[in-house]
Amino acid sequence: MRSITKLSLVVAALVLTGTALQAQTNNASITATASVQTPINVVGAQQLSFGNVFPGVNKTVNATDLANGGRFDVSGQASTPVTLSFTLPATLSSAGNTMPIVSYTGVHALLATQVGGVAFSPAAGATPTLSGAGALFVWVGAQVQPATNQAAGVYTGSIVMTVVY
Amino acid sequence: MKRESWIVLSAMLVGVPLLAQGKPLTVTGIRGVTFGAVLPGVPRVILRTDPANSGQFDIKGPKASVLLSFVLPLTMTGPAGAQMPLMFGASDAGYSQTQAIGSQVGFDPKQPFTAAVPNNGRASVFVGATANPATNQRAGAYTATIVLNVTVLP
Repeated sequence: MRSITKLSLVVAALVLTGTALQAQTNNASITATASVQTPINVVGAQQLSFGNVFPGVNKTVNATDLANGGRFDVSGQASTPVTLSFTLPATLSSAGNTMPIVSYTGVHALLATQVGGVAFSPAAGATPTLSGAGALFVWVGAQVQPATNQAAGVYTGSIVMTVVY
Repeated sequence: MKRESWIVLSAMLVGVPLLAQGKPLTVTGIRGVTFGAVLPGVPRVILRTDPANSGQFDIKGPKASVLLSFVLPLTMTGPAGAQMPLMFGASDAGYSQTQAIGSQVGFDPKQPFTAAVPNNGRASVFVGATANPATNQRAGAYTATIVLNVTVLP
């Protein structure tokens, strides 16, 4: 009888002192990391210059003409491919008069001397790779076609080059 | 004997139920989200299924239902305080009862998600994201912190 009494008290004690389950919450963190590379910078370094043009006489400046060809200088992340695209005017203008400009040519190279340059069509664009120093040089040439009665004057137009990674 | 029997029965009827303590809950950050080299103007996507670059948390705890909720950054911070937007898509988080990156249930990390921890008390959560650098994003190292909260549901 005594052993049963002791057992009963132990059971009662265990039942009465049971601990309720507490809600558990925990957390942890991780880090997101990125390394942003050098942005692209483009400079119009030299104009495409036809110089003196005579009515009725077409004049061409080749992209290989280092003195008169238009030139863009590009800088960005070293050894990274880029895409070149162009907006090319169809005419040059002067005080309401226009003169056709056609047959665009292009050369891109890693050196300002154009050594190792690659010819391309500006109308089609190109996908060169920047140099190990993050540089690229792009030349543009074209042909103007003055009419026989082309009005005298200074004719201009804008060639826009866009560069993206 | 009758008196003892009544004591036992009474105690069992009115006593507080004895409940099991359960395993302790732990959450561990295993791997961060790594975007690597990011080019200005070019979004960089890391999928939650990317074994090298996705983020991973491991959960260890009782066999139970748990509520998962993230604290997500809107931007990453870089040099001189520059900010780069960070986006989390509707399926950029994944829960795996087998802790296998190839076996996940996708969910939106921007919303709380209820999951079941299996018998062995172990599970994993994977996370991906998209970094959106501007075309003039300042070059340099960027970081952000992602927090996962886990709560065992009653």
